[in-house]
Amino acid sequence: MAIVVKLDDLLHAKRMTLTDLSDRIGITLANLSILKTGKAKAMRFSTLEAICTELDCQPGDLLAFEADS
Amino acid sequence: MPIPNPALLGATRGLLWLILGLIVASALLVVGVEIALLVAWPEVTAAFQDSPELFEVTALRFPVSVLMLLLAAILGAGAYMIRQLQALVASAATDPFIAANAARLRRVGWALVAIQLLAIPLQWTARCIAKAGSDFGDMGGISLEGLLAILLAFVLAAVFEQGAAMRDELEGTV
Repeated sequence: MAIVVKLDDLLHAKRMTLTDLSDRIGITLANLSILKTGKAKAMRFSTLEAICTELDCQPGDLLAFEADS
Repeated sequence: MPIPNPALLGATRGLLWLILGLIVASALLVVGVEIALLVAWPEVTAAFQDSPELFEVTALRFPVSVLMLLLAAILGAGAYMIRQLQALVASAATDPFIAANAARLRRVGWALVAIQLLAIPLQWTARCIAKAGSDFGDMGGISLEGLLAILLAFVLAAVFEQGAAMRDELEGTV
């Protein structure tokens, strides 16, 4: 996939688990897991805002574009 | 997602089972007539000898057999269509916007096409058996309602396909 979600790296940097993030931002673990594994087809601005607020990051820190080889 | 009215779904299920039952009863009748044509042809000709609607009864064995075969095919297509609709109604209790329902509606459309196509030789055959203007002689033929039903089934299939794609997209949204 061309858009890569770097949630794992951000969580690792913040020493936080997916369950912790789920509890803090009120998004289900299943949905965060879909996002983390790159299976999500779209992302709401509200989700992006909640994650960026909690992890103190910019959208660009969470998402990256990698051209398909 | 809004939950569909259970009473309406129940009534639809009941109605579909009733229609399927009527189709099965009609199929049994067709088989009965076909058997009567094979084993009791003299009695059949004697019974319908003086019917004002029918042409020469003694020459009708072959056309009536063809008519029964066409009716059996139409009933088969009708039963297939009802089974597809039953599966569609069953899925409506949970999530109707799935790709399988678009395929079911398309199959319903093709079954309706088959019924309309079979109705053409059915009309020709009926006209060979009974005079035009009689109940029997006016059987079959292309109907405007049938053509509209075909159109409706294919349009609905396209709508369901689009709905399923939208639902898929929504489910992948985090």
